[in-house]
Parts: sequence; structure tokens; C-alpha cells
Amino acid sequence: MSQEATCSAASSSIANETVGQVVDRGPISLGRILTNRWFLHTVSIVAFFWLWDWLARSNVLGAGSSVLARPHEVLEQLAVLTREELAELTLWGHVWASTQRVVIGFSIAAAIAVPLGLFMALNRYVNAIVKPLFDLLKPMPPISWISISILWFGIGETSKVFIIVLGTFVPCLLNAYNGVRLVEPELYDVVRMLGGKRRDEILHVCFPASFPAIFAGLQISLSIAWTCVLAAELVSARSGMGYIIVQGMNLSQPAMVIGGMAVIAAAAWGTTLLVTALERKLCPWKRKIVGL
Amino acid sequence: MQNAARPRNKIEVCNLTKRFGELLVLNDISFSVAEGEFVAIVGPTGCGKTTFLNTLSCLLPASSGQILIDGTPANPKRHNISYVFQEPTCLPWRTVRENVAYGMEVKGRPRKEIDERLDHILDMVGLTQCANLYPNQISASMQQRIAVSRAFAVDPDLLLMDEPYGQLDVKLRFYLEDELVNLWRKLKSTVLFITHNIEEAVYVSERILVLSNKPTRIKAEVKVDLPRPRDFMDPEFVRIREHVTDLIRWW
Repeated sequence: MSQEATCSAASSSIANETVGQVVDRGPISLGRILTNRWFLHTVSIVAFFWLWDWLARSNVLGAGSSVLARPHEVLEQLAVLTREELAELTLWGHVWASTQRVVIGFSIAAAIAVPLGLFMALNRYVNAIVKPLFDLLKPMPPISWISISILWFGIGETSKVFIIVLGTFVPCLLNAYNGVRLVEPELYDVVRMLGGKRRDEILHVCFPASFPAIFAGLQISLSIAWTCVLAAELVSARSGMGYIIVQGMNLSQPAMVIGGMAVIAAAAWGTTLLVTALERKLCPWKRKIVGL
Repeated sequence: MQNAARPRNKIEVCNLTKRFGELLVLNDISFSVAEGEFVAIVGPTGCGKTTFLNTLSCLLPASSGQILIDGTPANPKRHNISYVFQEPTCLPWRTVRENVAYGMEVKGRPRKEIDERLDHILDMVGLTQCANLYPNQISASMQQRIAVSRAFAVDPDLLLMDEPYGQLDVKLRFYLEDELVNLWRKLKSTVLFITHNIEEAVYVSERILVLSNKPTRIKAEVKVDLPRPRDFMDPEFVRIREHVTDLIRWW
């Protein structure tokens, strides 16, 4: 904000125009509180948990406690899991097991798919070779590979990482590819006009211009990675969030199932925040104007 | 003004012709531009002005004829040709200062020279205060000023401008035209300025080339020998403006 402030302060020229932040201060009234954004957020969240709790108490979904746990029961179950071990691991151990698989699979996929996507966009021979294979395998849901991966790699870590790599590969590659192909052609003209070589075009236009698309692909990949790890763990695992959910189901403990679901959501959200932070760091030019 | 003192022709265009298949767009165009001259090119809408510039800048290959800069065929890798496009074309991932520096970096100028020249030019166009902002933080007209500054910064042999101020309102345009003339006089670049705005052409240039409708050739050449700063209400200014308008109207 300070930069813009000095900028508009020095507006001896008429072309310097900036927009500052406008805060609408008025008297507090009932109408303003009722239409306040944060008030409405609170209302919707409270209503959601109340409805959940009511459904669990009233047996609308069926008789017995094995159908739906109340919110506080889920929290208590999670607290128990952090203290007591399930299959020789506490809750944190299971969270770490899943996260580890996601991070390894996601990193392998990103390290191969992003450069490959960039190459495909920059070189039509690479494109001509890779694209048909890619198009052939692209529509196949990654989860359909679970059985064959267990046959190939057993029920250990490798088969789970394999599924994640397959699932995250597609969006990583597609976004890197499209990121380069959708660069505005005028920007190339700028480089060419100034006497830039092909290398300048790639380094100064292609790569920076495709960064936002690459990061969008990484975000999509990350959520797919969590889906894949969960699916793989549901099928066969001795650790991880999927294992907790399966155990909850086998033991008829909905609190454990819902707890597992909640924790996996939290973990996925955490990794998403990390990628967002990385993008902010690497693409400062994409930041919004402060105060708008 | 200083025409008599001009030693030589910087740019020579000889029999330039451009065809797109059967369609003849540029028909045997020849003209020359003296070093440090400011030439405006006007013509009716759709007469191929942009094709003309794109051919001159070597973005499009000519069908026949040639463009000589200092006696050798124009080549963006060897010569310093700068181009200001109709739309602002800033690199969004570079700050204002880095954008203006970009041309000089591609040309491989030493860092010290780049910095000195940057300070000079940013100061001249009043962008110093905003040097560290990104293009998405400033208005479109400011982005166009960056493109103009970037074009001047490389000290071009030939500076081509394709209706750079076509999208701006009148007040801002007058202001930027003054800024442009100021830059040109201080940096002594050779400028070819394409516009559809006749008043603008008379205001900024020393000579106006009037293009005909397609297939395009040079229909007339009008010298503008008025003192600067020019006055829109000056009878001589009005006479030249009306003369050029008539030339365009009666093709």
C-alpha cells in the first residue's frame, strides 16, 4: 500500500491513477448486523452442526447409535485416537503415513509431468510422440489401477505411491502444456522485436507465463492425490487415514469413520495452503492489489 | 526545421510489396527516413497500416522489395528495431522498472549502463515512483507508457509505433503525445508513427506519409514544418490538418 500511496502522492502526471481502500463506516443497526458477512458465515456453520446433531439424536436415519455419531462424539473419538494406538500407531502416526504417501507420489508426478508438459508444448516432435499415449491413458480413472498395482507391487507403500503418481500425473502435465500454449502471442512479438532469440522467448516468456497454470495443475493434483491415497488405503493398508475409516466401519463406530473423514479433509487443506504459499512466493506478480 | 542539416538517410524502403496469396496489400512502396526524423503514417481504416508496420519490423516477411537500415537489410537480431504495439504489452511478471529494462537486457547491455539509462528514462516519463509495481497494479495507459519507455530505452535505429494511443481519451492522449515528442527530442531516435488520427499526426511528426486504400501505396507526402510546442488552433496547423484529411478522403 505504501508504494501506491507514494505513487499517487507524486501524481503530477494525470496518468498516475490508483485506487485506495474504501471503508464504509456507518452506524451499527440491526439490518447491518443481519446482512454482515461474518454473521452469515456463523449462522450457516452453526446451523450445519445443529442439523447434524439433531439428525444423530433423533434417529431419523435409522435406529441405534451405529448410524451417525454426534459432533462431540467425533471429537472425543479423535482425542482417544491420539492417546491410544490403533494398529501400533496413534492418530498422528496415521496422518503422517497418509501424508508421506501423498507427498512422495505427488512429488514424483510433478517432477516428471511438469517438465514433460513444458517439453510437449515447446517441441512438436515430443508432443507427437507423447500425446497419443497420454490421450490413451488419460480417461482411465487412477483408482481402476488399484488391483493391478497390488498384483505388481504388493500391498506395501509402492502400490499406493504408484496410484497417486498415476492420478496426479494427468493434471500436472495438462496444465503445464496448456500454460505454455495459451501464452499471449503478443508477448513473443515483444521479445522477437527486441531481437530476442528462441532461448529468450522460452526463459523470459514461456516459463514465467505458464507458472500460474502449472500451480493450478498442482492444486488439482494435490486434491486428486488425497482421493487416491484414501482409495488405496481403503482397499488394503495397515496404516493411514483410510485404514482408520475402514476400521471404524468394521467396528461399527461412525465416530471413528467421520473422525477419519474430518482429519483427512484437514490434512488436504493444510497441503493446499502450502502450495498456495509457494505460489505466492514464486509468482509475486500475481498478487492482488493490496486493499482491493 | 533542421531538415537541411540532415546528413543521410537512416532507413530506406525500396519497392516493398506484400501479398497474402492473391491479395495484394502493399503495392511497391518506396520511401526513406532521415536519421532522427519523426515520420507519421496515416491512411484510411483497413488500408493495411498494421501489415505495413509488421513488414517493416520483419515480423512478417516481405513478398518482394527490401528495407535497408544504414544500408544493410533490416534484421531484428542485428539492428535495433523497437515496436510499440496497439495494445499495451508488458510482461506481467516483471515490475515497471524490469519491463523498461527488458529490451536492454535482451540486447546484452552491461548492467551499469542499463541502470543509468533506466534512472534517466523513468525519471523523464515520471515512472520512478511506480518503478517497483507490477503491471496489474497500474492502469492501461501507464502500461502503454512503459511500452513506449521500453522502446526508447534500447536506443533504437528505428522506432515503430502502431497507434499506441488509439485507445486513450483525448486529454491523456495530448499529455502522452507531449511526452513522446519530448522523449524523441531528447533521445534523438528515428520514429515511424502510425495513426488514424490526423490531428495527432500533425501534432507529433515532422513529415506525414498518406497511404491509399488497398492495395496500399504512398499517395502523398506532407511536410509539417511548425515550431514546437505546436498549437492546435494555429491557422497553419489547421490548414495542414485539413489538407491531409482531404488527401485521405479522396482516394
